[in-house]
Amino acid sequence: MPNLLNPIPAMIAAGIVVPALLLLYFLKLRRREFDVPSTLLWKKAIQDLQVNAPFQRLRRNLLLLMQLLLLLALLLAFARPVSRVARRAGKLTVVLIDRSASMSARDPDLKGRSRLDEAKRRAKDLVSGLSTDAAATVIAFDDSAETVQPFTADVGLLKRKIDAIEPTDRRTRLKLAYQLADAQTKFDPDQLRSNIKPEVHLFSDGRALDTDDLSLVGNLTFEPIGSNQTANLAVVGLSAKRNYERPTQVQVFARLANFGPEVKRTDVQMSVDGQVRSVAAATLLPDRWTEAERQASEQAGVFARDSVEFTLDLTQSAVIMVEQMNKDGDALAADDSALVVVPPPKTLSVLLVTDGNYFLERAVGSLSLKDPATVTPAKYEAGLGTTYDLILFDRYQPKALPQVGSFIYFGTVPPGLKLSAEQRDGKMLADVGVAGVLDWQRDHPILRGVSSLSKLYVSDPLRLIVPSDAEVLIDGTTGPLVVLYRDGTRTHLVVGFDLLPSTWPLIVSFPVFMYNSVQYLAVGSEMNVRQSFEPGATLRLPRTALERAGGADLKQLRLIGPAGTTVHPVPAIGEVALGPFDRVGTYKLDPPVPSYEQFAVNLLDANESNLLPQTSAPAGIGQTLIGTGGQSRLELWWWLIAVGGLPLLLIEWWVYTRRVHL
Amino acid sequence: MTQLAEKSSLLDSSFMARLDQLDVLSRKILAGKLKGERRSKQRGQSVEFADYRNYVVGDDLRFIDWSIYARLDKLFLKLFLEEEDLAMYVLVDVSKSCDYGNPHKATYLKRVAAALGYIGLVNYNRVTVAAMSDSIVAETGALRGRRRVAGMLDFLNKLEPAGPSHLAMACKRFALGHRQKGVCIVLSDFFDKGGYEAGLRYVASGKYDLFCVQVLSPQEIDPDLQGDLKLKDMEDADTAEVSITQPLIKQYKANLNAYCLALKDYVTRRGGTYLFTSTAVPFETLVLNYLRERGLLG
Repeated sequence: MPNLLNPIPAMIAAGIVVPALLLLYFLKLRRREFDVPSTLLWKKAIQDLQVNAPFQRLRRNLLLLMQLLLLLALLLAFARPVSRVARRAGKLTVVLIDRSASMSARDPDLKGRSRLDEAKRRAKDLVSGLSTDAAATVIAFDDSAETVQPFTADVGLLKRKIDAIEPTDRRTRLKLAYQLADAQTKFDPDQLRSNIKPEVHLFSDGRALDTDDLSLVGNLTFEPIGSNQTANLAVVGLSAKRNYERPTQVQVFARLANFGPEVKRTDVQMSVDGQVRSVAAATLLPDRWTEAERQASEQAGVFARDSVEFTLDLTQSAVIMVEQMNKDGDALAADDSALVVVPPPKTLSVLLVTDGNYFLERAVGSLSLKDPATVTPAKYEAGLGTTYDLILFDRYQPKALPQVGSFIYFGTVPPGLKLSAEQRDGKMLADVGVAGVLDWQRDHPILRGVSSLSKLYVSDPLRLIVPSDAEVLIDGTTGPLVVLYRDGTRTHLVVGFDLLPSTWPLIVSFPVFMYNSVQYLAVGSEMNVRQSFEPGATLRLPRTALERAGGADLKQLRLIGPAGTTVHPVPAIGEVALGPFDRVGTYKLDPPVPSYEQFAVNLLDANESNLLPQTSAPAGIGQTLIGTGGQSRLELWWWLIAVGGLPLLLIEWWVYTRRVHL
Repeated sequence: MTQLAEKSSLLDSSFMARLDQLDVLSRKILAGKLKGERRSKQRGQSVEFADYRNYVVGDDLRFIDWSIYARLDKLFLKLFLEEEDLAMYVLVDVSKSCDYGNPHKATYLKRVAAALGYIGLVNYNRVTVAAMSDSIVAETGALRGRRRVAGMLDFLNKLEPAGPSHLAMACKRFALGHRQKGVCIVLSDFFDKGGYEAGLRYVASGKYDLFCVQVLSPQEIDPDLQGDLKLKDMEDADTAEVSITQPLIKQYKANLNAYCLALKDYVTRRGGTYLFTSTAVPFETLVLNYLRERGLLG
C-alpha cells in the first residue's frame, strides 16, 4: 500500500482541482443549442477571428508547449521516485546523528548551514512523522556514542534534544553507535514484548573509520548528507622536531590535501605565538583523482606540491601554527590549521667541579640556574653529581661520567672517549706558549653573539685529538681550542685550555659563550617537541607532575581551551584525567603543570577531512536513501507537480476549448 | 376583390387597390407571345410609330405614307410597334432557412411574391410563380389576367418552408423550363453554402431582366445572442460552437455586410438589380416605395 506523504494538502488540492475540471467539462457539454437559418456566416466569422487574432499561431504552439511542460514535469517527478517514504518513522525508531568533525562542513548547497544542521533538520522531520503509538530514541556519535534521548513518544522532547546536539571535532566510528542502538532497542519494554525490528536512521556523511567490523539488528536507512562538489583543503599531517645537530633549530613538516573537485593553490602560513614567520606555497591536486588524471595534470604542467617544510630557531616555549590560507569555498575550518607546542628549554641543574675558579663561579652564578652547586673534585668522586643535568669540570678529569647528561670541560678532556688530548706518562701534553684564535664558527648557536675572539689569547693549550664526528667550534693557532662532541646520550663541550691564564674571562665573549652553551645543552637535553593529541583524546596528569605544580596546595586545575574554560578538582592522591578534548586548538592549564603547561589538539585526519559523502550505506548494512539532496529537493518536485503540473493541465484545457470560441 | 382578400392573408383589399395603379416595368424591350399592353420588339399594329421602310409588292396599302409619296414621289411604308404581353417570373425561396425571424421571413417573401404576382396579373402579363428550395418544388404555370389572382394566392398560401437551399439546382431547372424572355424576380435570403453565383448565372443571362430581392430578418442582421452556444443550422443540422463575444458579433456583421455587397456587385455587374430588405421594413413600404425606386414597378 503506498504511503501518502502529504495526504491533507493532496486532498485539498484534489478538492479544488477535480471539481474545477469537472465544472469546465460540464460547461462544455451543456452548451445551449440555438437554431439559426445558416451557420455559413458564423463559421466564417470564427475562422476570420482565429486567423486575425494575435498570437493565434503561438496559441496553437502554446498547447504543444504546455503539453511538453506537463510531460516534462511528470517525467522529472518520475525520474525521482525517492520520496519521504523511505524516511518514514517506524514503530520503534532509532535516530543516529553524526556529530563528528566532517559534519561541521558547510556545503555550498546547504546555504550556510552545516551538515549537522541539515542532519538535525532531517531528523526532526523524521520524528515529526512519528505516529502516536510509536517511539524514537536519539543517539549522537563521533568516535564515541551518546544516547541523547532514550525511547519516548514525545515529539517535542525529541526535537529539543536533537536541537541540543553540539558538533565536535572528533573522528567517526560507527561501531559504538550501532552497539548503542542495539542496546537501546533491547532496553525498550515494547521491544521485549514484540518482535518489531527497529527502524534505524543514520544521518551522516558516511565516512567512518571502522566500516569493517559493523553489525546491527535493526533495519538501517542511511541518508547521506553533503555534496560531492564541496571544496576542502586540509592540513593532514604535521610534525615538528629539533635538529639533532643543532637543537635550537626546529623543523616543521606539514602535509596538505585537497578533498574538493578542482586543483587548488594555497599559501601555507607558519606562525609562532601568533606572529607570522614564514609562508610557503602549495599546489594540491584533488584527492579523488585517479593516477591517470594526475599524470594528465602533470603533462599539462600542473605539478602537485602537497607538503611544506619550515625551519626556525627556537629557544623559548612557543606554539607553532601551520595554516592553509585559501579559505575561499573551504567548507571545513577545523582542518585548516594544525598546532604544535614547543616546550620551554629545560631549566638545568648545574654542578661545577672545581678547586676554586673565581670567574667560573661568577659565570655559573649569573646564569639564573636551578640549584647551581660547586663541589671539589674529591667530593664529586665521593658520589655526588649523578643527578645533575650539566656538570662543569674545571681542570679536573673525572674518573667516570654519568650515563646521561651534558658536560663542559675547561683545561681537561673527558675520560675514555675518542676525543682526548695527547698524553705522555699519563699527563696531558700542552703547547708551551701563548696561542691566539685562528677561526671560529660564527653561525653556531654556542658562538652566536660572540662578536670577536681576536683578543683571546690562551696559555699552554692542550693538544686535542679530535675525532671526525666531533665539531670544532674555535680553532687556535696551535690546534683546536673548543670542541663539541656527542657520545650517545651524552654531550661534551671541551674547552682545551685553562681559563685562568687566558684573557677570556676578561672579555665580553666569555659570558656570552657561557650563556649560549648552557642554553644549547639544555635544549639538547630534550630533543622532542610535544606532539599533539587527536580530538577525543584524554590526558592523564601523573601525580609527580601535580606535586611539582603545587602539591597539596593544588586544589583545582583550570583547563582553558577553544571551547571555553573547565575546572577540574585535584584529588589529594592519584592522578587527574582531562578530556576528552572535543575541539581542536590549544589547551592551557592554570596553574601550569610542568611538562603539561600547554598542548595542542589537531584533527590531522584525512578520513575526516575528506568531505566526499559515501553513496552507499557503511559496510553495506541497510539501504541507502538515494538522492543526497534529501527532502527539500524531493518536496520541490512534489510542488512542481502540484503548483506547476495541474495548473498547466487546466490552462491547456482552457486553451484547447478557447480555440473554438474565438 | 374583397372576397379574394378575405381568402388570403397575404394581401388585403385596400393594399390591392393601391397595387392596381402599378405595373411591372422592364428595362429591356422584350418580345412577348400574345397581344398585350406592352411594347414589343416586333413591329405590329399599335399606334406608336416605329420606322419607315420601302414598299414592296404585297404590302398592305393602308400603311403607305401618302404624305411622303406626295413630296418625294416614292412609296414608303410606315411601321408601328407591336404591343405584346410581358413574361414575369417570380421565384420564391421556401427553403427551411426562411422559416425564421420575427417578422417571419417566409411569410414576408410570400407576401412580396403575392403583391408582385397581383401587379403582373392585373396588367395582363404572363405571370409564373415558382417555389424553390433545393430545386423547383412547385410552380403555378403561366397565369394571365385578374381572374388568376385567387389561384396564385392559393398557391402561395400552401407553400411551407422545408428542405435545404440549392440555388444552383433550382435556377438551372427554372431556366431550362422557361425559355420565354421576361422579368425574373428572385426572392430569397441567398444563404446557400454552395454559393449563389452558380445559381444566379442561369438567370442573369440576356434572357431575363433580373431582380434579386434579398430578405433577411432583423435577428439575422443584428443577432441578439448571448453566452456559450451551439448554433445549429436549420437546413442541414450543421453545428458551430461559439461563445458570443463583442468581437465575434462585430465580425459576423462585417461578414454579412460583405456577403450582401458581394451579391449586389455580382447582380449589378450582370445587368440585374439588387435590393436588400429586412422583414422589419413594412411590406407595403417595400412594394410601394423601394421596388418603385429600383425601377421594378412603375
